[in-house]
Amino acid sequence: MIDPSVIRPEIALGDFLPIFVSSALVLVFGGFYVGIYTAVKVKMLKPWFIALAYMFWLLTAYCLYLMGSLMHVGEFTAKALVVAAIGLILLPHAVYYMQDQVHKKNEH
Amino acid sequence: MASKYLTGTGSESKQLATWYFTFAAILFGAQLLFGLVAATQYVMPGFLYGILDFSIARIIHINALVVWMVFAMFGSVYWLLPDETGIETVGIKIGKLLFWIFAAAIVVVVLVFLFIQVGKADATTIWFITEGREYIEAPRWADWGIVVVALGFVGNLFLTGMKGKQTGIVTVLMADMIAFAGLYLAGMFFTDNISVDQYWWWWVIHLWVEATWEVFVGAIAAYGLIKMLGAHRQVVEMWLWIEVAMLFGSGILGLGHHYFWIGTPEYWWEIGALFSALEPLPLVAMFVHVLYDWGKTQGSEEEKGNTNSVINNKPAFTWFVLNAFGNFLGAGVWGFFHTLPQINLYTHGTQFTSAHGHLAFFGAYATILIGMFYIAVQGTNGIKVMKHTRASIWATSMITGGMMGMTVALTIAGYVQVIVSRAQMGATWAGYFDGQSGMWFQQAMDWRLIMGLVIFTGFIILAKDLLTTGKNPVHER
Repeated sequence: MIDPSVIRPEIALGDFLPIFVSSALVLVFGGFYVGIYTAVKVKMLKPWFIALAYMFWLLTAYCLYLMGSLMHVGEFTAKALVVAAIGLILLPHAVYYMQDQVHKKNEH
Repeated sequence: MASKYLTGTGSESKQLATWYFTFAAILFGAQLLFGLVAATQYVMPGFLYGILDFSIARIIHINALVVWMVFAMFGSVYWLLPDETGIETVGIKIGKLLFWIFAAAIVVVVLVFLFIQVGKADATTIWFITEGREYIEAPRWADWGIVVVALGFVGNLFLTGMKGKQTGIVTVLMADMIAFAGLYLAGMFFTDNISVDQYWWWWVIHLWVEATWEVFVGAIAAYGLIKMLGAHRQVVEMWLWIEVAMLFGSGILGLGHHYFWIGTPEYWWEIGALFSALEPLPLVAMFVHVLYDWGKTQGSEEEKGNTNSVINNKPAFTWFVLNAFGNFLGAGVWGFFHTLPQINLYTHGTQFTSAHGHLAFFGAYATILIGMFYIAVQGTNGIKVMKHTRASIWATSMITGGMMGMTVALTIAGYVQVIVSRAQMGATWAGYFDGQSGMWFQQAMDWRLIMGLVIFTGFIILAKDLLTTGKNPVHER
């Protein structure tokens, strides 16, 4: 018989799988967002794919929200997750812009 | 004069690099072999009991991993230095002497691990058998030897970097390698408080792996993209500086996720959570970089009417692309699984950690270093365009497929431990054993062993390919 005091109640038993899946999908969807965004920018994909890229970012943000909610993160960690979501949407824009400017400056 | 450096013939630095790569490949084989022994012991606990116990097999498996990567990293630097600086490496004779000292020290340490194994609980053991800290168990005499070798290596790098052309790649490597060598010192002293001891020990482990090694990979990726794609140096180096800023920005204080449960103050929860959440961002940015360079370089060639691939070393480039994906998956996805303290409370010390460790080390480091082996084979054999051989395709597929399979198996095992050992049974002694006696855990261990055999077979094919592909007529010369 297990002493009930040692059972940790923070996360419900049924929530572990959704937590692991959603945290994996954060980066999988994030990868799709970044990949499609860059592929559109370097003209490997048609421009309308950009909508798909942003859809993947929305899915990323939702997964972050879901993961954080199921884990019952505190106020500070919740803010950290929001910062990560904002960072993710801005990052490919910033990196692409800087690389493209350097590219133009050196080749044209 | 410069051509001899680019082909790899006639450059003593590149010759030394091939020595480092060869020894690294041998240690890579040893790492896999002892990993197989440890994996077999999970399935058959009596296997080699009393001769080569799990604790020893695990020590050699993990230390061989760290050391083969360090050898391959040193080799990579000695390989690229003449290309980047335009001169022969300064102090190359000392570099060669240090190689033999380093290699001999590693052989002695491994023999002691194998045949002496344990000693009395006194200073003699610390000095001559093992220091006992996970991942860096080498005895203290070898520690000092490593410091001397690392200082000599950093000295060669600095003297060459200052005398020759100073590219962004070499500048980043100079800064990175001095941090890499210096951080090792944090794992060389003892305190009588286990929390304080672990606090410093993590400086070596985390700040190597999630800061200095990642920056090293960024520098090698930059060199590889210039070498294999003809990517524009300014663009690649611009990326490198961005990556350095992001990796150090998130990676240094990402250290906090190792401080959750070792007795450090609670503010590490917040620091660890914030910077761990940011740590995947540089890995995502790596996607932009590889796609950008590949797409732009291929696109500009196609505009000129050249539809041929811009890649001049297909096996190496395959491993570099696997690095971008592997880093993202292993360090990113499998790291993010359990990086926040709320979930890490349950996953810490389970096979989840092992799944993450295996895929991250493979994806982030083994891949790109194998890519460097192929760049060296291309250079030393004067190959203009290096193509895939049947062996290189089989080796890549088996090693990568085996590693993915092993990671999935370990993840399933970790999940069982989280649910049974931690969530249901509250991390009790009984929970620890119940979690490991269930069918799912045991079958996962069977699959881990099978996948280990797949990887080892892939390694044998890889070794055969590296030794023979240089003379294969399939390549353009």
